[in-house]
Amino acid sequence: MLETLALMGQGFVKALTLINLLAMAGGVTLGIIIGCLPGLSAAMGVALMLPLTFTMPADTGLIVLGAIYCGAIFGGSISAILIHTPGTPASAATAIEGYQMTLQGRAGKALATACWSSFWGGLLSCISLYFFSPLLAQLALKFMSAEKFWLGIFGLTIIAGVSSKSIVKGLMSGALGLLISTIGLDPIDGTKRFMFGQAFLAEGINTTCALIGLFSMSQVFILAEKKIKERAKATKFSDKIRLTGDEKKMLAPTVVRSWIIGNIIGILPGAGASIACFMGYNNARQFSKHKEDFGHGAIEGVCGSEAANNAVTGGSLIPMLTLGIPGESVTAVLMGGLIIQGLTPGPELFTKHAAMTYTFFAGFVLVQFFMLAIGTLGCRGFAQISRLSDAILIPCVTVLCFIGSYAIHRNMSDVVVMLIFAVLGYLMRKFDLNTAAVVLALILGPISEKGLRGALRVSGGDIGVLFASPVSWVLIILSIIGIFSPFLMAKFEKKVTGTEEVVLETESGE
Amino acid sequence: MKMQKTDIGVVAFMYAVCGFFYAYSAKLSDTSRTYPKFTIALLFFLTTFYLVQMILNARRHGVESGVDTVFAGFKPVQFLVTLAMVIVYFFLMKYIGFFVSTTVFMLACLLFLRVPILATILSIVSIDLLIYLAFVLFLGVRLPAGILF
Repeated sequence: MLETLALMGQGFVKALTLINLLAMAGGVTLGIIIGCLPGLSAAMGVALMLPLTFTMPADTGLIVLGAIYCGAIFGGSISAILIHTPGTPASAATAIEGYQMTLQGRAGKALATACWSSFWGGLLSCISLYFFSPLLAQLALKFMSAEKFWLGIFGLTIIAGVSSKSIVKGLMSGALGLLISTIGLDPIDGTKRFMFGQAFLAEGINTTCALIGLFSMSQVFILAEKKIKERAKATKFSDKIRLTGDEKKMLAPTVVRSWIIGNIIGILPGAGASIACFMGYNNARQFSKHKEDFGHGAIEGVCGSEAANNAVTGGSLIPMLTLGIPGESVTAVLMGGLIIQGLTPGPELFTKHAAMTYTFFAGFVLVQFFMLAIGTLGCRGFAQISRLSDAILIPCVTVLCFIGSYAIHRNMSDVVVMLIFAVLGYLMRKFDLNTAAVVLALILGPISEKGLRGALRVSGGDIGVLFASPVSWVLIILSIIGIFSPFLMAKFEKKVTGTEEVVLETESGE
Repeated sequence: MKMQKTDIGVVAFMYAVCGFFYAYSAKLSDTSRTYPKFTIALLFFLTTFYLVQMILNARRHGVESGVDTVFAGFKPVQFLVTLAMVIVYFFLMKYIGFFVSTTVFMLACLLFLRVPILATILSIVSIDLLIYLAFVLFLGVRLPAGILF
C-alpha cells in the first residue's frame, strides 16, 4: 500500500516536469481540434500522432496520446453545441440539448457545462484507473501460455463484434488480421513466413503503418468520395462561458451518476463513449426535477452526456493496460503506442515499468485540468476551426499520413504498407467489415501465437493443455459471451437511444 | 434481412486470401505453419458460415444488389482524381523531394476541390511549416530529398 502511494507521488512529481506539462497542453489542444472537426475521429487523431511520440520518453509519449484522447472526446461537444454536428459519435447526445441552448442564446452556458462536466467525468474516472488496474494486473500475473492464448482470443471476440453490423463479419475481420499478423519471421524459430521476398517484412507488418492506413488514410478516401459540403456557420454567442455556484451544485449529482455509468461502460470491453453519452443523458433526464426542459435546452442533459463520455476514458484504459485487451478502437490505437515504446501491456507495467505507468496515470489526471482550462478559454476559437471544410482536410490528412508512416523507419516501404492498409481499410468500411478488429488482431496475434505454441511445446503437442486450467475455462466462457455481446449491446443501445428521435450527422468514421 | 450481392465479393475475397496463404504455407516447416494454418482454418470456417447465412437470407428474404447502399452519394470523378493525385504524390516524392511534392500535391488537390486561394495558400504554408518544425527539427527525420533539394 505504502509502496503504491509512493509510486503515485513519484508519478505526480515526474508528470509535473516542464516537458510533460507542455505535452499535456499540446495534446489536449490537438485533441480538441481533432474532436471538434466532424469527419475526424479520436482513433484517427491518436493514430496520426503516434509517430510524433517515437523519440519521446515512454511516459511523455503516452501522456500526449492520452491528452489527445481526452481532448478529442470533449472536443466533439463544441461542434455538437454550436453547429448541431457532433465532432465524434461520443457527443451525439450532447447535441440534443446543447444546440437547443445555443438557439436560445445560451451557447456559452452549454459550453461551460460541457467543459465542467467533461473535467469531472474524466477526473473521477482516474479513481478506478488507480485502484482497479493494479488488482487486475495481479490477476494477469497468474496467466501461463495457454491462458495467454485464450486471452488473445477473448480480446478478439470482444472487439470483432463491436461496430460491425454483422457479428460474423466482425469475426472474419479479426481472423483476417490474425492471418496478416503471421507475416514476417516466425517468433519461435525465425523461419521466414509470407514475406514474398521483401526484407522489410521480416519484423512483420508495422502496426503503426497499419493503424495510420486503416484509420486515417482510409478516412481520406471516405471523405473524398462524398460531395464536399459547406459546414453550417458556428452560432455567435455573447453570454459568458461560466457556470454559477448554484448551477454547479445542481449539476453535481448528475456528474456523479454519469461518472459511475461512464466508468462501468469504459471498463467493459466492447462498449464505448457513444453508448455512455446516451446512457448519461437518459439518466440525467430520469432523475431531473425539470423533465419538461429536456428537448428544449436542459443544462442537465449536456452535463449527463459529457460527464459520462469522458468518464469512459479512464475506465477504458484498465483492460488495455492490465490484460492487453482494448475495448474499443481508440484504446487499440493507444495500445499500439505502448508497443511502439517497447512496452507490453500487462502485469509488467505495474512491476518493471511501474514508475512510467504511474507517471502516465498522474499525467492523465493533470490532463483533465488542462482540458478544463484550454476548453473554457479556447471555445470560441475551436468553434471556428470546427467549420474547416473536408476539402482542406483531405490533402492535409494525406500529407500527415505519408510523413507519419515514413518517419517510422525513414523508409518508403512503410508508406507502401500504409497505402495498402488504407485501401484495405476503405474497402472494409464500405463492406461493413471491422478495421479495429484487424488492428487488434495484428497486436494480439503474435501474443496469441506464442501462447499457443508455448503451451503445445510444454505438453508435447497435446491440445488438452489449452483446456486444463480453470482460468482457461473462464476465458473460453468469456470469449463465448464476447461473441454474443453485440446482440446484447445492440438491444441495450436501442433501448437507450430508441426513446429519442435523434437525427444528427456524425461523420466520424469510428 | 435480404442478401446483398456485394457480399459475394467479400466472401470471394476471403476465400482467395485463405487459398493464397494456404498454398504459400506449404513451403513452411511443420512447426512454423501450425499457427498460420489455425488462422486460415478459422477464416475459412467463418467465411463459410457467412456464406451459409447469405444463402439462408436469400431464400427467406430475397436478394438485392447492395451497390446502392455501398456507393450511396459516391462521386466517382472526385474520388478517382483524388486517388490519382495521391498515387502521383507518392511517386513524385522520390524524384522531386518531399517539400516540393507536398506543395505541388496540396496545391493541385485544394484547387481541384475548389478551396479559395487564400485558404489554399494558408493550408500549404501551415502544413509545410508544421512538418518542418515537428518532423525535421523536433524528430530529426531526413525527408526524401529528390533532385531539387
